[in-house]
Amino acid sequence: MAGALEEEFPGLRAEWIGCECSEHRSDAGVGERLARLASRFSGRQAVELRQQQVPAAYRSFFLQIGIDPDQQPTPIEQAALGRLLAGGNLPQDRISDALLLALLETSIPVIAFDASFVTEPIELREAGSGEKIGADEMAPGTLIVADAEQPLCQLFTAPEPPLAATRASRHLLLVAVAVPGVSEITSDEALTIAAEAISGG
Amino acid sequence: MAALLLDHGAGSELLPREELALGEQAARRTLRAQIAQLDRLISAAVCEAFPDRLELAPLPAGGPRIESLGELELRRDALVGVLRAARQQLAARELERDAARALLAQMLLDPAKYRRVRISQRELGVGGCGVWSVMPKLGPMGRLMGWWRVKLSSGCPLAT
Repeated sequence: MAGALEEEFPGLRAEWIGCECSEHRSDAGVGERLARLASRFSGRQAVELRQQQVPAAYRSFFLQIGIDPDQQPTPIEQAALGRLLAGGNLPQDRISDALLLALLETSIPVIAFDASFVTEPIELREAGSGEKIGADEMAPGTLIVADAEQPLCQLFTAPEPPLAATRASRHLLLVAVAVPGVSEITSDEALTIAAEAISGG
Repeated sequence: MAALLLDHGAGSELLPREELALGEQAARRTLRAQIAQLDRLISAAVCEAFPDRLELAPLPAGGPRIESLGELELRRDALVGVLRAARQQLAARELERDAARALLAQMLLDPAKYRRVRISQRELGVGGCGVWSVMPKLGPMGRLMGWWRVKLSSGCPLAT
């Protein structure tokens, strides 16, 4: 992570892991786990999420970097809202289901990149003057996820194709953004859950 | 100040600037800790209010980026305002509940006087969706004789 960011936010980090994806549909076990997580979920739990340690850490971090988490919910709160509106964790595709499972199990967001477009190491840093993501020029100082060569996406914003993993992607790079207050074991767990659900391990 | 500059000699211009930067960074950390603490308190108020919803003002947004000292101060102050509003709404709700409890107590003492009053469990701050109301004892006979009692409806079975 870039020095200024590390000094400002000790504990903020990007962790990543590679995995292979050979199927489009999720394994039955992943669907069952998502259904089980959905069936245990009520409106009260959705509201009380914000008091749990990891979701609270993301809320605090959002506020500290200028995002109002009540207008742009944290990933886990967004997933909880989606669950309540849809009436369940509806299955989509192998990658989306795996990322959702990791998020619901650990409250840590995991992003999936197509590994053929991304060069390790992954870092979190401020955008420089004139840097672009796709066609959009980033305002200098915007916090971004970047690889060794280019900016990948704005922090807590989904990446765009071709960087984002799609059904056609075979080699994936999963990245977890862990904020201050989130233990290493929890972020490792998020990556492991997502990687196993994708590669079928 | 003059003595301080003499003591530091040639490097005196750099040192205060570095110290200033370190001081600002420490101040930003303190503000971030205050913001986190305020958010915890607001979250507690939001959870306490459930199933009611608190009307809270949105905060200024512009991230994600490292905010300056001034921006963090503004955000902290805005959160203080939000917390105050949340607590005022909780206090107002508690006053309404106290009034509803007092009214129910009066209904129980003199049902005939409160024949058209209905108080829901939610107004009392109790779970479920039952409603307290005054009903005649023994149906039409009680209505003619003026025999009244306070009854709690069973409510909606789905609520439990």
